[in-house]
Amino acid sequence: MSANSGTQRGFGGHLLQAVLLVALSGVVWIATRAVPEFEGGTWTIAAVGFLLIAGTLLSDLVAVIGMPHLTGYLLAGIVAGPHVLKLIDHHSVTRLSSVNALALALIALEGGAELKLEFLKKGLRGLAWSTLLQTFVVFAVMTGVFFLARPLLPFAQGLTSLALLGAAILWGVMSITRSPSATLGILSQTRASGPLARFTLTFVMTSDLVVVIVLATALTLARPLVEPGATFSAHAFQALGREILGSVALGTTLGLVLVTYLRLIGKQLVLVFLALGFGMTEMLHYLSFDPLLTFMVAGFLVQNLSKQGEKFLHALHQTGGVVYVVFFATAGAHLDVPLLRQLWPVALVLAGARALTTYGVGRLSSRLAGDEPMVKKWGWSGLVSQAGLALGLAAVVSREFPSFGDGFRALAVATIALNEMLGPILFKIALDRAGETSRAPAPSLTPPPPTASSSEPPLGQMPAETTG
Amino acid sequence: MNAILLLMGLLILSYLGSFLVSGRAVRGIGLPSGAEYVALGFVLGPQVLGAVERSMLVSFEPIAQVALGWLALVIGLDFGFAGDRRVRVRSVVLGITGALLTGGAVFGAVLLLLNRFPMVPPGLDRWLLAGGTGAACAETTRHAVRWVVERHKAQGRLANLLAEVSHADDVVPLLALAALFAVTPKEAHLPWHIPVAGWMGATVVLGFGLGAIAALLLGREFSLHTTWGVLLGTSLLAIGVAARLELAPLSVTFFMGIGMASVSKHRALLRDTVAATERPVLLPALLLAGASINLHALQSTRGLIAVVAAAIVARLLAKVLFGELLRAVSPAARPAGAFVGVGLLSSGAVSMSIGLVLALRFPGVVGDTVLVTAAVSAVFGEFVAPAALKRALVRAGDVPIESEPPTAPTPDATPPEAPGANIAATPASATDEAAAR
Repeated sequence: MSANSGTQRGFGGHLLQAVLLVALSGVVWIATRAVPEFEGGTWTIAAVGFLLIAGTLLSDLVAVIGMPHLTGYLLAGIVAGPHVLKLIDHHSVTRLSSVNALALALIALEGGAELKLEFLKKGLRGLAWSTLLQTFVVFAVMTGVFFLARPLLPFAQGLTSLALLGAAILWGVMSITRSPSATLGILSQTRASGPLARFTLTFVMTSDLVVVIVLATALTLARPLVEPGATFSAHAFQALGREILGSVALGTTLGLVLVTYLRLIGKQLVLVFLALGFGMTEMLHYLSFDPLLTFMVAGFLVQNLSKQGEKFLHALHQTGGVVYVVFFATAGAHLDVPLLRQLWPVALVLAGARALTTYGVGRLSSRLAGDEPMVKKWGWSGLVSQAGLALGLAAVVSREFPSFGDGFRALAVATIALNEMLGPILFKIALDRAGETSRAPAPSLTPPPPTASSSEPPLGQMPAETTG
Repeated sequence: MNAILLLMGLLILSYLGSFLVSGRAVRGIGLPSGAEYVALGFVLGPQVLGAVERSMLVSFEPIAQVALGWLALVIGLDFGFAGDRRVRVRSVVLGITGALLTGGAVFGAVLLLLNRFPMVPPGLDRWLLAGGTGAACAETTRHAVRWVVERHKAQGRLANLLAEVSHADDVVPLLALAALFAVTPKEAHLPWHIPVAGWMGATVVLGFGLGAIAALLLGREFSLHTTWGVLLGTSLLAIGVAARLELAPLSVTFFMGIGMASVSKHRALLRDTVAATERPVLLPALLLAGASINLHALQSTRGLIAVVAAAIVARLLAKVLFGELLRAVSPAARPAGAFVGVGLLSSGAVSMSIGLVLALRFPGVVGDTVLVTAAVSAVFGEFVAPAALKRALVRAGDVPIESEPPTAPTPDATPPEAPGANIAATPASATDEAAAR
């Protein structure tokens, strides 16, 4: 996902891609039909392989009509997944979730490393206004919308008004989560640079910290409302303080270690990232620290307190490409299509309300902060996407509040699915319109051609894609 | 040991392996077969220290399958080439002959022994055991010649010939492996009956077809976005589909490598791209292979030790015989004496991979005995082959003499090749470039 356009193919090239993708799907289809029952982890390998190749090819194909690569990855997962073609079963999809740890570590490291102190200082006023308004106004409006949407919510019928308010507060918190992975995915593909890209990245990465704090507050407030016998407890804040301070401290240490490694050795970073993604994430879970925050702080430190930032980012882009394809394709395969079909009207209402509120608040905060024109116009577009963070939060709610948790989670999954599909498209359109998408050719492994012919595209191929 | 700790250990090994292919590393260090990592795995495994438990090995089976499949892909991409040069037809014929001779001798010796002393019940298992040991013992590791060449700065016609032969013999054991998987009864529900030859053909066609698809998808320009997605995607798909259809995953990815190399116009670039990953993948795979060694079958049926011994002796004799054949057909090998054949006794990645894949597919007497044989063959080869190979190269005048007296060139020896034509050492430099990238 490191290139604006994967390859510079003409119509024939894309047709060939489509035909070969069908051929590969046929191979998988024959294997699954010939041996319907197959136990063991080896099929998970085939699932990873198929998602990787289908995601890569579909991302190239959807890029032809200006859609982001990420949409291609998601589509690959949805189509190959257990609800459509059934090439990949539920068991394999569940097993594939272990890739998430690695992907999230890379996303957080990259997110932190993309945050440059000078840009943070420049955009501090805009960031402060938008964080304040996008957090509290969106939270308040979506709490209200959820509360008012009671007749549309099947699981809310048996809830008291107070319990419904508790659930609405939790929905409000879920509505203020954004998707660092989708943001980085689009930025990585478009290699965009400019005020809009900087604003979105800064906002989305820092909003993670805000969400963690608001969630702890909301859980504390909602519990007495939902469970009448429960009393207000500040224990959650104690745990939260420990989690945040511990994560920042460990992230700082990790950042220093990474800086030292980059300076002294600086090689085989892929293996270092694998060790961090699997080993360190496990350790952070054991210590009850937040992996996203820890890795983000580490990346931030490498970028801003050393000269190794660009080298670090380059290595992250190279490694992340393959991991992100599997991560998003798995997310697509996870998508519960029958559930979405069942809940789409109410999910559409809630997703629409959130998008509209985000748009309005975005315009307002940009005006108050005096942001640059492109941020004023499009600043809201990158804040619509939702993915793993929101799903994780829905899972927490489901676990903590069994009386309505399952219904809440199902609706959340359906709503997030819409945001997950539409958000990245919106953001890419915005970056294209703002003129921030890179027009440089995609990075290639082939040696550069001789100078004489370098100005012309290869025969039979279209010129380099300019809009992504 | 915790699974995460094992994973971290494997990553550390991989990390060390990556430095063995990088430009600044001292070349020729370690052993050509990687037997030390097999030994380390054995010591850490359930047979000795028990730090790596058997249940953990089971959970790591998919990782082992991926590592082995990837290695076979690298070998397939490099098949028929030594460095950037195509291996001469004569060397391909010699390589295949050597592997057939060695594998056949081991197969025959083991089958004879099993028929004479029926420690394994007659039927499929007996054929699988004989065939498996034959397949595991057939190769000469490609790294053996490179290792001696790099350590002793060898250069010359015999070094080149042996490098070519060792690059051309892998097709035999991997075809044999495909046959072993093909003869086992399948659970596939297909509307028509497929004979054994059909399953073997399916192995080759699946591998070659996926390789060709990968090459077509990569196209003319290798964008960073597509290259690794396609390479990894098709490889993993090949391994998974092969496992589901009960075909030999190693053989499928090997033929996939050949297919990719045949169709792509960028074989060298492809080879360089994946060759940099060979050592980092090989070392953890060897560790897992070592840890998977299970002596239970040999302890309960003592006669199986004789099977292992028979395989090793047959392999030694066959290699010596092949050495004589080389001397008969190649003037460059004549001055080297009987050391040529012994020098080709090194076995490594392919042997251990076949041993491990059979241990995973046929756990029990067959798989365990084949894996032990592969490990013993690698260790035995390590004791005798590098020294013998160096001796042979010295006698052929391919090693610059410091302590040993120079050997007079034979009258029929052709003049040395042009500087820079040392293809035995070329893979290292090509790999270094890829690693640097």
